[in-house]
Amino acid sequence: MKNANLTKISIGAVGCLLLVGLISYKLGYSQNPEPPKPKEQQNEQPVTDCFESREGYTSVTRVENAVPQYGYPNVKCSQTTGGVLWWGNPYDGTIPMGEMPAINDAARGDYATEEAVVKPREPQLKYFNLSPDQHCAFCHNGKIVPFPKDKKPRLLAAHQDIVENSLQLMHGRGAFWCLDCHSATNRNKLIDHQGNEISFNQPQRLCGKCHGGVYIDWRMGIHGKRIGSWIKGGKKRWWVCTECHNPHTVQINRFNPIKPEPAPALPRGTQNAVPEAAHGNVSHKESFSTPPANPSTGH
Amino acid sequence: MSEEKKEIAQDIHTSEEDKNRRDFMKDMGAAALAGAAALLTNSDDAEATSTWAEFFQKNYRLMTEEEKKDAILRLEQRYSEEYGKTVTVDGAPPMKDVLFGYALNIQKCIGCRRCVYACVKENNQSRNNPEIQWIRVIRMEKGNFSTENMDKGYPAGEGDQTYTNKDYGIQVGGNAYINAGVTLEGQHYYQPEQVPEKDAFYFPIQCMQCEKPPCVKVCPVRTTYREPDGIVVIDYNWCIGCRMCISACPYWARRFNWGDPNLPAQEMNPKTHYLGNRPRMRGVAEKCTFCLQRTRQGRYTACVEVCPVGARKFGNLLDPGSEVRKILDRKRVFRLKADLNTYPKFFYFID
Repeated sequence: MKNANLTKISIGAVGCLLLVGLISYKLGYSQNPEPPKPKEQQNEQPVTDCFESREGYTSVTRVENAVPQYGYPNVKCSQTTGGVLWWGNPYDGTIPMGEMPAINDAARGDYATEEAVVKPREPQLKYFNLSPDQHCAFCHNGKIVPFPKDKKPRLLAAHQDIVENSLQLMHGRGAFWCLDCHSATNRNKLIDHQGNEISFNQPQRLCGKCHGGVYIDWRMGIHGKRIGSWIKGGKKRWWVCTECHNPHTVQINRFNPIKPEPAPALPRGTQNAVPEAAHGNVSHKESFSTPPANPSTGH
Repeated sequence: MSEEKKEIAQDIHTSEEDKNRRDFMKDMGAAALAGAAALLTNSDDAEATSTWAEFFQKNYRLMTEEEKKDAILRLEQRYSEEYGKTVTVDGAPPMKDVLFGYALNIQKCIGCRRCVYACVKENNQSRNNPEIQWIRVIRMEKGNFSTENMDKGYPAGEGDQTYTNKDYGIQVGGNAYINAGVTLEGQHYYQPEQVPEKDAFYFPIQCMQCEKPPCVKVCPVRTTYREPDGIVVIDYNWCIGCRMCISACPYWARRFNWGDPNLPAQEMNPKTHYLGNRPRMRGVAEKCTFCLQRTRQGRYTACVEVCPVGARKFGNLLDPGSEVRKILDRKRVFRLKADLNTYPKFFYFID
C-alpha cells in the first residue's frame, strides 16, 4: 500500500517535472507571436529618397513591394545618409551596357559574353533631356557658343547649377580642360582623343583611354563594383567610372568622403570608448593614467 | 530500526494535509500527461505541435530528405505566423563544383560600415538588446613615430632624468607600444563626421569560412560543420549554447543570442535558408554564412553589393575566370592570422 502510494507520488513527480520542463521550454524557446518592437524603430519611417553610388549622382526612390514574390521594396536605404544599403532588385532601371571593345585576351578573362547592364546616366542629366531647341547640343554646337581660342584651363562661370565645383575643375593637374572629354560640336556627347563620340552612359570607353590599368582591372571585375549574379556569365549590373568617381574633382578625392553608419553598441556596462581610443596612440603608461583628451579622433 | 520507526511515525502523522498533497501530486501528474498528449496529437495550436517536433528533431545533417522537408515546412508555418507574412525557408544544398571565396581590397575600404548594416538587413539579426552584427570594421592607426620618444624607453637612456641607472641603455624603445598597421588592436567605435580619415585605415573582419575551422573542431554537439561548398554553417536547433565555438574562433566572427532576438516583423527578410538567415532563438550562436540563401541561388552577398568603393569581391574559387581567382592570380594577397593554419577562404588584397 505504502509502496503503491510512493510509486504514484513518483509518477506524479515525474509528470510534474515534465510539465514544468515543457512550460519553461516553451516560454524560453519559442518566440512571442508578435515580437516586442523597440520604440525608436517603430517611429522610424523608411527612407524613400535615396542615392545609389555617390551622393547627388544616381538618385532612386524606394518603391514598396517592388518584388512581390518576397514583398521586397526595390531598395532599402540608410537612415544616416540615404545611401542604398540593400537591393531588392539589382537590375531595376538598368539598360544593356552596349558594345564594348574586345580585349581578346583569354588570360585576362574577357567578359564580353557576360550579360552586363548599367544604370543609364542620360535620363538624370538636366539640360540633356530638354527639347532639341533647348538641350546642350543646341547652343554648344561649335557655332553659337564660340570655340575658345586656347586650351588653357579656366574657371567655368556658366553652368554652376549642373557642374559641381565648376569654378575649380580638377582633373589631370592642369593638363586637361573641358573639351578634352566633352564634344565641342555636340555637347550631348563625350568625345575621346580620336574624335569618337561617346554616350554619357558609357564613360568607361572614354576614361579607359588614359586609365588603362584600372580599366583592365575593371573589365576583369577586380576594380569597381558589380551587383547581381556572381556566376560567370550571369547577369550583372556594372558600376561605371563616374558612378563612384567625380571626374571634375577627382584630383582632390578619388572617392569623396562619406558619413559613416553608426558605431556598434558599446559592450554592456561600458560608458564610452575611451580605453579603446587609446589603443595605438599613446604609450601604455599614459593610456592607463590619463585618457586622451579627444577620444573621437583618437588623438 | 530507526528508519522503520520514522516511517511508522510518518504513517501516524498521515493527516488530511498529507492526503491533500498526495492528491495534488496525482492531479498534477495527470495534467502533465494530458499536456504532453495534447502536444503530441494533432492539436489546433500550430505553434505547439511544431515546437514539440522541432525540439525532438535530429541534427540537420543526419536527417533524411523527408525529415528535412518536414522541418522546413514546420519552420515556414511558424515564421509565417510569427511575422505575419509568407516566409520561405530554403534547404538548397551546395552547388556542384563551387567553392566560395571572398576577397577584400584593404587599400580601398573607407570604413563606412555600410556592409555591416546591409548584412543586418539581409540576415535577420537581432536589431538591439542584444545588437548582433556579423561584420566588424576596425579602425587602425597609420604609423605614428616621433623623434621625441627616441630615448624615452626603459631602462632609461641618456635623455631620461627620472632614472638613475643608465648603464643598460635602451632595450625597450620609446616608440614601443605604439601600434601601427594590422594589430587588430584598433577601434570599433570610431564615429567621425566623414570617412575615410587621414590618419587611419580600416579593416573589416567577418567569418573567414576556414578550410580548417577551429569552431567546428570544438563544437561538442557537432551542430556547426563545413558544407562542401566551403561554408561553415550552424543548425541552430541543435545548438546547446555552450559558446565553445565563440572562444575558439580566432577571428571573433561568432555572435551569441544572449536574449530573445529583437527582430521587428516589418524588417524581417522573408527569404531565408535553414542553415543561414532564418530567425534565430535565444541561446544559440550565429555568424556570417556568405549569405548562402542568396549565393546558392547565384546572387552576390549583401555586403559585396553594398560596398560603395567596390572593395569586396566574391566568387567561385574553382573557376579560374572568377573574380576572386583573378585577384589571387594578380594581386598581393594575404590571409588574416595565417600562422594559425585555419586556411581562411577570405582573402585580403592590395592593388
